[in-house]
Amino acid sequence: MARIDGAGLGLVFENFKFSHGTDQPDANGEQARIFRISGIKSTDGRDVDITVNHLYISGTGSNYGENLSPVNLGRLANPWEIDVVDGNTIGVPDKAVLQFSAPSQVAAAEGYDCFGASASAGTGTCSSRPATADYIGERADVGIQMNVAVGDDRSANINIHAKSAVIDGSYLRLWGDNNRHQMVGQFKLNFYSPEVSINACAQDGSSCGSRIILSNFALELALGNELQPMLFDVDGSGNFVVEIAAIRQPASGEIGADGLRSSSNAETWDFYNSYYTNPDYRSNLSIGNFSVADRDFGSARVQGMLIQHLNIQTKDLAQ
Amino acid sequence: MIRHPGTAKYGLALAMLIALPSPVRAELASLGDQALSDVSGQGGIYLSGDVSINEMGGPVENSHFGRCDDATRKCGARFAWRLKETGGWMVLDDIRGNFSFEGLTLRVRHVDSGFGGDGELFNRDVLELGLPNTVRFNDVRFKIAASNTARPTDPGFLQTDIFSVEMRGEVVMEGNLLVFPTGNP
Repeated sequence: MARIDGAGLGLVFENFKFSHGTDQPDANGEQARIFRISGIKSTDGRDVDITVNHLYISGTGSNYGENLSPVNLGRLANPWEIDVVDGNTIGVPDKAVLQFSAPSQVAAAEGYDCFGASASAGTGTCSSRPATADYIGERADVGIQMNVAVGDDRSANINIHAKSAVIDGSYLRLWGDNNRHQMVGQFKLNFYSPEVSINACAQDGSSCGSRIILSNFALELALGNELQPMLFDVDGSGNFVVEIAAIRQPASGEIGADGLRSSSNAETWDFYNSYYTNPDYRSNLSIGNFSVADRDFGSARVQGMLIQHLNIQTKDLAQ
Repeated sequence: MIRHPGTAKYGLALAMLIALPSPVRAELASLGDQALSDVSGQGGIYLSGDVSINEMGGPVENSHFGRCDDATRKCGARFAWRLKETGGWMVLDDIRGNFSFEGLTLRVRHVDSGFGGDGELFNRDVLELGLPNTVRFNDVRFKIAASNTARPTDPGFLQTDIFSVEMRGEVVMEGNLLVFPTGNP
């Protein structure tokens, strides 16, 4: 009994397919399906309404959501997980941490390339496998087609599609902070896709603009870490607040004037050194190639972004 | 009694079906004790559902809540939770509508094959939740909001609606959700 480890709950979606959207109104103006997000107001007080024409999760090869097929999400050996983790193992001392996680990343010797449509074992760190001739794989095509109306002005349809997407290594951790008596968290989002595309089409779908293609798209976003968790709150006027507090300042004299370890308090120096060098605290974005129609703009990369302070607050414009 | 002109024809077709010899018909035979001991409780649950939440309005009627046909009142359910000991409240507000599904299944399944080779290594039981293929939403709505008080009737109530969602029609939701313990039990 003493050897029993806190077992989590593994989740695997088998042959999964999801699709919802909004239909064109028929002759009587009735719509069979509606999927609408509203309640947002523009700065001049007009209602903003986002109509989702199509939202889908499908197997690879869906041709931008035209041919939906089933896909597996998560592996039996490395599933989606809901777990209560011992905080001492992840740098949150003496806390039980609630964790929702996607399949974890694995050693490059066992994993699959996160972009490759025909990657074989031992080519990368993603655990989810691409589709093959006789297996549907664990990478999904996801996409959304929507249009935005501000008052009576309705935009063209905006389409965003990601092919063969993987989010391995993503997680959300939540726990309570004793001093602030508040819920705090840490969110890591990894998103890899060989092709993310964006384009706009006319309302009736008759004509479309050029497709913007971001190939080999990789986003590794780290919001909050064990030293600077994300803080969630609602303030006195009923607005939602997300904050990442700044890291504490060293006391005077703790770090020497020349910034070297030998002239500083060794423990403090090591703390800041590990804070600034830990790659887990940093966010990265890389795009293999950025192209619009037949024009290539080459690759783009933002690397090692460290969020030192963040404060997001909703504001009611009606007030 | 109302007679439909086609009734006689259906009756004839039915009689012919019964008269046809069936190749799969087998005689019932009793199981011995030994054979019976090998039979374990098998099967599962098949669920159909029709869930309505405050479609016409909830049971509370006061200065804030009322019937859905009263434009000056809110008729949906409200769910509020707090993220900080003395902080404000996150709210799932104005929850109402109706959704129905046919054929949600629940059973225990032994996985020892498939899944691109993972099944054979896994070789364990899982709880399988068979998704119903389509879920019909009938004007399902809810709102995500943040508020300074738990109840809208509390003094000094202020609320910011962040966004609201409306769904109608058939949502395609196919596949199975497999649930199992992880770690080393």
